[in-house]
Amino acid sequence: MALSGKLRSAVVIGGQGIRARKLRTFLSMISLFLGVLAVVAVQAGSEIANRALLADIELQQGKDGSVNVSLPQHAKTVEITQEVLRGHPEVVGATGTKATIGEPGVIAINPGPVPFKYADRSQGAYEVVCESNGYCEQRRVENPAPPGQAIELQLVGLTGDIRQFRPFQVRAGQWLDFGGEPSLSPGLVLNKEAATGFAQNRVPAQMRVEGGTADATPRILGVVDDGSSTPTAYVRADELFTWLSPGAATPDPRMGGGASMTLYMWPSSQPVVQTLTARLTGAGADPSQVYSNAVDSRERIGSELDLMRWIFLGMAALVLLIGVAGILNVGLATVGERIEEFALRRAVGTPRLLLAGIVLAETLIIGLLTAAAAIGVGVVGLQLAGKVLGSRTQLLQDVAFPWQAGVAGVAAGLIAGILGGLLPAIRAARIPIATVMRA
Amino acid sequence: MTPLIQISGLTKTLTGQGEPRPILSGVDLTVHSGDSVAILGRSGSGKSTLLSLIGLFDRPDGGQYLLGGKDITRVPERRAARLRSEEFGFVFQRFFLLKHLTAAQNVAMALVNGQGWAARRNRRAKVMAALEQVGIAHLAKQRPPRMSGGEQQRVAIARALVRQPKILLADEPTGALDTETGALVIDVLHSATDRGCGLILVTHDHAHANRMRRVVRLTDGVLRPEPRGVLI
Ligand SMILES: Nc1ncnc2c1ncn2[C@@H]1O[C@H](COP(=O)(O)OP(=O)(O)OP(=O)(O)O)[C@@H](O)[C@H]1O
Ligand SMILES: [Mg+2]
Repeated sequence: MALSGKLRSAVVIGGQGIRARKLRTFLSMISLFLGVLAVVAVQAGSEIANRALLADIELQQGKDGSVNVSLPQHAKTVEITQEVLRGHPEVVGATGTKATIGEPGVIAINPGPVPFKYADRSQGAYEVVCESNGYCEQRRVENPAPPGQAIELQLVGLTGDIRQFRPFQVRAGQWLDFGGEPSLSPGLVLNKEAATGFAQNRVPAQMRVEGGTADATPRILGVVDDGSSTPTAYVRADELFTWLSPGAATPDPRMGGGASMTLYMWPSSQPVVQTLTARLTGAGADPSQVYSNAVDSRERIGSELDLMRWIFLGMAALVLLIGVAGILNVGLATVGERIEEFALRRAVGTPRLLLAGIVLAETLIIGLLTAAAAIGVGVVGLQLAGKVLGSRTQLLQDVAFPWQAGVAGVAAGLIAGILGGLLPAIRAARIPIATVMRA
Repeated sequence: MTPLIQISGLTKTLTGQGEPRPILSGVDLTVHSGDSVAILGRSGSGKSTLLSLIGLFDRPDGGQYLLGGKDITRVPERRAARLRSEEFGFVFQRFFLLKHLTAAQNVAMALVNGQGWAARRNRRAKVMAALEQVGIAHLAKQRPPRMSGGEQQRVAIARALVRQPKILLADEPTGALDTETGALVIDVLHSATDRGCGLILVTHDHAHANRMRRVVRLTDGVLRPEPRGVLI
């Protein structure tokens, strides 16, 4: 009751003070506005940049905290992995090989495969030749095949839905369906770069896979954004290997034949890897060739980004400090003008701490109102930027206003309010009551 | 009966820019309920200083101050604020009204002071009663800059009366008013004593002083009874 009486009195007195000095309140807010806005903008900017970077890394390497395991290349690797993972959809194996779609017996438009904007066939053809001692080198092909309408792709066979680790976004059509029997004509999902290649060039629907014996007629199911600039196609591993003998893929003499296989998983799936390793070892693979790599991108990029953030926040704080000086100046002037009012209020029994609290609360309210305004401007600004620049920059496409920026704005408003209001509050508390008798 | 105020041997030394100056050197004063006392004295004799000690704006250096029989000579500031709110009403030479508030809001200021809380309707009734008491209820919504000096001083008196204090302290309340308006203000103050309120009036005007039940004079830091009817 006593507290509520104090509080209610404070609200009435503070409200009267603000209403009597609307212009001043407004000017104080303006002096503070830029500083709070700077804090909000820096926080929002760094948060958005951070998320964008993380999203990119997630697409390419996997979500934070997941693990990538690369298995030894061995003739049996693909077969055993497919078998073991059949009952474990939470672990996804990915195997990579090279495929060409288009005219046979020609040099493709983008040999490598390289992104189409770097495609250049004028330099002639090169191939990697390996000798039996394991020494490989790139050699110019002496009598190269003629250039033709074919596109080279990185072909990735998947044992399950990899999007639980790499959140590809479907841009057209649909993603691979891992349920049901594998189809005899492989269904491909292209990444954006591959889709660009097919849009720009007309090529026959005939696919050859490196190490494959027969050609296949692929069906294009959809297009995804996978964050990669290499033309890539994703396919169900079982579809890939129904008509391609698993051991035959990537016949690299160093590796004893067999395709490479990478597992995407969470640390909790370690037992599956142990089973798999045991089976592979039993089949003659070298268990020391199992490499495990934890994805900890947030921590890795965090420290670099943090430094930038602190530098910018430091500059924002400086702008904020100028605003605080402004609010402090106004606050002191106001107290000077209200000396008689405060003395009178104390004469009629208002406790001095309550008066000090009211002065402080008035600047705190100014700080919070300013924070609200700055956050509002930030939200609207971000939306406008998304509308105007969203089509040009991926970064600004439908980004939500980060809550961290809101928190930073409110904190900046509060701190500014306290810094700007404390001194005037102390001054107000020190006014002697007898002032009302000497005036 | 316990007197409202019982002061004995009160001393106060003020330190300005120069050396300390003893202003009060042993003031004795007793005020009963319904009593009215006029304090006369030359300018600078310490009348306002004495009033600021009685009203607990400040504390004395020595002596004793009993309020309703309780020793409040060294009362801490928190309690002093409560006593100022509950026991005292103040009227000053300058009216000290807040010009951005209406007359009613200025009076309500004494109710909105963090000492307890009255609901808006309750507050309004008290404010209107106080304005009624000083005869300017019709000006409740008026702001001070549009009121005459006498009206403003009556708003200030309503502010002093709204909590129904036990003691009214008035420091030259007619100093800024013409004779006639001043007399009206003294009437209003005096009528408060009919309800048992004690009144201490500091004034330079003998006519006003003579309307009080007792007249004392502050000279050389002590209060002495003033012979009645020296001047009309
Ligand atoms: N804070 C202070 N420090 C030092 N001296 C002070 C202070 N305040 C007032 N004085 C001095 O104390 C003396 C008494 O002042 P006070 O205001 O009580 O006089 P007063 O009797 O009310 O005079 P007046 O009739 O002019 O109002 C004066 O000489 C004044 O200069
Ligand atoms: Mg005086």
